[in-house]
Amino acid sequence: MNGLHGIIFSYKKRNDLRELSEIRSPSSIPFGGRYRAIDFALSNLVNAGATDVGIVLNGRYQSLLDHLGTGKDWDLSRKRGGLKLLPPFASKEKWGDIAFRGKMEALLGVQSYLEEIRQDYVALMDGDLVVNLPLNEILQAHIRSGADITAVVGNDSFRVEGGTYFEINGDGRVTDVLYRLNNPRGYRGLEVYIISRDLLLSLVDECGSHDQYSWRRDVLQAKCKTLNIQSYIWSGFAAQIRSVQEYYDRSMQLLDPGVRAELFCASRPIRAKSADKSSSYIAPDGCCVNSLVADGCNVAGLVENSILFSGVTVEEGAVVRNCVLFKETKIHKNAQVAYTIADKRVEVMDGRMLMGNANYPLVISKDSKV
Amino acid sequence: MKKECIAMLLAGGQGSRLYVLTGDMAKPAVPFGGKYRIIDFPLSNCTNSGIDTVGVLTQYRPLELNSYIGSGQPWDLDASTGGVHILPPYQGSKGGTWYKGTANAIYQNIGFIDLYDPDYVVILSGDHIYKMDYSKMVQRHKEAGAACTISVMEVPWSEAPRFGIMNVDGEDNITEFQEKPKEPKSNLASMGIYVFSWQALRRYLTEDEADPNSENDFGKNIIPKMLADGQKMTAYRFEGYWKDVGTLESLWDANMDMLSPESGLDLLDESWPIYARTVSMPTAYLGRGAKVTHSAFNRGSDLEGTVENSVLSQGVNVAADAEVSYSVLLPGVQVEEGAVVRYAILGEGCHIGKGCHVGAAPEDTDPDQWGLTVLAPGCKLEDGRTVPAKTMLNREGEEVKR
Repeated sequence: MNGLHGIIFSYKKRNDLRELSEIRSPSSIPFGGRYRAIDFALSNLVNAGATDVGIVLNGRYQSLLDHLGTGKDWDLSRKRGGLKLLPPFASKEKWGDIAFRGKMEALLGVQSYLEEIRQDYVALMDGDLVVNLPLNEILQAHIRSGADITAVVGNDSFRVEGGTYFEINGDGRVTDVLYRLNNPRGYRGLEVYIISRDLLLSLVDECGSHDQYSWRRDVLQAKCKTLNIQSYIWSGFAAQIRSVQEYYDRSMQLLDPGVRAELFCASRPIRAKSADKSSSYIAPDGCCVNSLVADGCNVAGLVENSILFSGVTVEEGAVVRNCVLFKETKIHKNAQVAYTIADKRVEVMDGRMLMGNANYPLVISKDSKV
Repeated sequence: MKKECIAMLLAGGQGSRLYVLTGDMAKPAVPFGGKYRIIDFPLSNCTNSGIDTVGVLTQYRPLELNSYIGSGQPWDLDASTGGVHILPPYQGSKGGTWYKGTANAIYQNIGFIDLYDPDYVVILSGDHIYKMDYSKMVQRHKEAGAACTISVMEVPWSEAPRFGIMNVDGEDNITEFQEKPKEPKSNLASMGIYVFSWQALRRYLTEDEADPNSENDFGKNIIPKMLADGQKMTAYRFEGYWKDVGTLESLWDANMDMLSPESGLDLLDESWPIYARTVSMPTAYLGRGAKVTHSAFNRGSDLEGTVENSVLSQGVNVAADAEVSYSVLLPGVQVEEGAVVRYAILGEGCHIGKGCHVGAAPEDTDPDQWGLTVLAPGCKLEDGRTVPAKTMLNREGEEVKR
């Protein structure tokens, strides 16, 4: 069967995300006012016509499961195929408290699932990547180039935790794959790969039988001379949400209309779980500028350069500047909050002041009262 | 599958007093309150009241309504037994007719209702904005042992002549019904919401159909006939926000009420949620120069200009130096730079070119000349055009008379 099958890897906690991944996998981190990180990978796949998507789960996935439901919001609740959740139960061995050591081991654990894939091609993606890729076009480029594997890379060497970087020759072929760089060079890998189902299955089998578990080391690095690994360079917005600082900086970039126009382009809409909030409301004395405001917010104070998720309340006299406020945060009267990321249902009481800095945003854990 | 109670929602009316807004869609499909359509209110009330089987009677321009309701999933009405069913008029072996009146619409669907063999049937209309627990009304109906219970609310005496007025005894049993009385004896107005014991209603519908002189209407025929026969009919007093949005002015009023929870219409209150089918659009953005006050807005919007006392649906853009006040903008309206929109209802997808002036404030207008300005869905105004107060334009931008 022609077409693309999606496999999304979700990770457990990342230390640099601090409180934001205390209670959730990085894939389910709220982003952009009404999305979770994984909505982007799911929407990219669905917009390329994918009907079958498997999600490889790792620790702390309760919030992710709650978000995904049956997959209906992405039209992935199907009789055949659709959304399949792949918890790490299949592997027989245990590696301390981790479910698997690398992507190849994770895929070995779901080998029987891979064998049932109906499509000829598979897209491997990470759940913490915020991007709007034309995956269909990337698949066509993959087929045209005759590549064994196509790696999608960003047109930058931006430093990300655990990032992969690619050296590419004039024909776009990957010549080296780098890791653990103090000064990253080459092209930043977005951890999006296109590969044929048959090659993926044979690689999983080969790695499994040699006790190799790493996609990067045992496939990309070990085989970049023998396999034809091509690159697809994406020059648009692509955020890998792996630290608080990156989360904050990338969120603030959304206030730029150009970035929004590209990330939320109308021909490839990003779909999110639907929520039943009413319209947002700004009171007669409220003021809200240069901000993203999701549904069901109620603003009576001042909001500037901020991102408000659904159901946020900013009471009279409160001042919110350069903040990201998650769902149902309440900023009470005359409180002042700046450069702060407030997790779900945080309350900042009357008259309190919270000041972070652009280089060190404060993070307030879910359900805290300040 | 037997159900104790099912609901039948009359959604077939044209809504001719909404003029150009209902040119292409039935009244219940008209957007309301920024993210809803009128029909979300009765459907959500059903779900919140524990009624899981709803028949929606459609007739006029049903496309928009049908595709909006779909499987009924947004209202949790996609159950495997029951759920929401669209019921258009149909042809049988002996021919068929359009729905001749509200009672005839139910008569033609006796077969549907009998499938569920209900004890009670709730009859609703698709043009009211309100939050109501129908289970309390059914409870009142049961306790009174009534054949019919009619939901009523007190209205100011001065307005009573505009309504169907119920006169009641000391136990709120209905003794007399007056349609739009010049000299009302009570101020209890019918809200057009009825609970019937199904077997009683079934009998009256059948008799009514056999009467060639009947208009086959609940208010004009069924209710007076049951009253004349001495059937036990009770009133159920409703307190809370309720508005018939059958006219442009009342639709505008109800939207403005939404901005002030003191009006009684509090849509931010989550104890009785109103559900809607939502669209995939990014978070709304309020620009650096945006001055948005006492207004509601929705996803997919980009607001750079001034917005006051207005209700904006999803996907609305208001450019810099544009000004929107006391207006209701339905989904996808674009207001270009320097345009001014006052006291207007702009239909879905209207485009207001640069520097246009649409509508006017009452204080700037001769009282005889003032009224809401209304643009049909899809109306595109070229740059610089002025559309005075109390004017209505069709999709082509031509003036139409009320």
